[in-house]
Amino acid sequence: MIRKIGTWFLLILAYLIVAVPFKVMGVIPGFTDIRPVMLLGPIYALFFGIPGCIIFALMNLVMDAVSGGLAWSSIAGLLSNFAGPFLFMYYWKRVAKTEPHLKTMGNIAHFCIVIVIMAVLEALIITPSVAVFYPDVNWKLFFVTVTLNTSLFPILFGIPLMILMQEELGFKQIERKT
Amino acid sequence: MNSLQANICLMCVTLCWSTEVIIFACIPDTVPPFATTCLTSIAGAILLGLCFFKRIKKALQKKESKLIKRCLQLGLLNTIYNILYLYGLDYFDVSSGAFTLSMTVVVLPVILFTLKKKVSVKTWISAGFVFLGILLAVGNNANFGQLMGAVMIGVGCIVRAVYIVILNKYASEDDPISMSAFISAIVAVISAVMWLVTDPTGFADLPWNKEIVASLAIYSYFIVAFAQTLNIFAQKKSTPANATIIYSLEIVFSVIWGTVLPASLIDNTVLTPWIIAGVALVVLGNLIEIIPSPKEKLSDT
Repeated sequence: MIRKIGTWFLLILAYLIVAVPFKVMGVIPGFTDIRPVMLLGPIYALFFGIPGCIIFALMNLVMDAVSGGLAWSSIAGLLSNFAGPFLFMYYWKRVAKTEPHLKTMGNIAHFCIVIVIMAVLEALIITPSVAVFYPDVNWKLFFVTVTLNTSLFPILFGIPLMILMQEELGFKQIERKT
Repeated sequence: MNSLQANICLMCVTLCWSTEVIIFACIPDTVPPFATTCLTSIAGAILLGLCFFKRIKKALQKKESKLIKRCLQLGLLNTIYNILYLYGLDYFDVSSGAFTLSMTVVVLPVILFTLKKKVSVKTWISAGFVFLGILLAVGNNANFGQLMGAVMIGVGCIVRAVYIVILNKYASEDDPISMSAFISAIVAVISAVMWLVTDPTGFADLPWNKEIVASLAIYSYFIVAFAQTLNIFAQKKSTPANATIIYSLEIVFSVIWGTVLPASLIDNTVLTPWIIAGVALVVLGNLIEIIPSPKEKLSDT
């Protein structure tokens, strides 16, 4: 149990290390919503299972609260940030015929396609609530931003990090259930 | 890690490096470059030390003086080529600078050849395409006033090529995480000395605010801890020539940033047919190198 709590603490710490600096600083002027922390979603799901998905979703809510961005749409945010990684994990561990081993071009392409589908699903969950509660927000731009954040960062940085974790640092993906 | 995975990791490293300009743009000019390098390297080394304390301790117990000597060598070379690049780049705009930096691609196979090390035909062809791309993009834009900058960057490329050859050798013999931590620590010490010599403003004199702290934090974990460590791990399964060809993709990323990002962050790149052709040749050279041949696929499985 202590080991589990330690792991959860480390997951929270890793999330904060990646998320906080980008919350503080606007990297690109006029475009503040750059969220590299989204790269952690698939990693938390595949390596740490449901607790990883819960921590990922809750930390997103906490960051919203801390940065003064808590709103009704945060509930949809919480739901989508759990559902995305969870469905991703469910697909790879229950539905797909192969593991996401990332050793071949085909497996990597498969992985990327699933990430993009997950990103679109997440955007489909959050965007309607933003459109309802914040009519001033351009929902089409919001949809694109969420989709890009949730797909590009896991593909560009999440895949290499996963390769590093499973091939060199000894991390194991959660077991596959058939 | 197989060679495909190593290539993907090297591409990610190159992408991380290409974002350096964006992170640097968030740090005011009043912060000396050596101060940035010193602080981010210290933070990167501490982060790696905290995360992998046991592993680093074990590596030290195994071969303490040898590991530190090797990292000292690498840290020195790293600092020398970065200083040469820093001053050499003043003579070029962003895209020409990025193209010129990638001359390492051409220098490295030549160095390997003179060291009587085997360079595959595929690598020579790839390097040839990248070289042609660099010539097309820079040649049309060059002038005599840039000669000094070109010489500095040329020497920097030679030093970097030597660095890559040595790093590649050590990466397969030593623990990459320990290497990354010690290289960062050594670069931090050297940068601290350079900081004191070139711009003796103290730590407290820096214009601290939350944006600077955030930028330095991102640089520390993203470029120093993550990209550098990933690079050393990937080098274990790569060859120096292969790695250098993939590093040349920095040109492509720099041109993309220069085209899409606002001028307040990066000098905008005007897309001329020469630059587009240059980028296309660099990409072609990379594709030739990255896509595994049937023989390589077989050896990977």
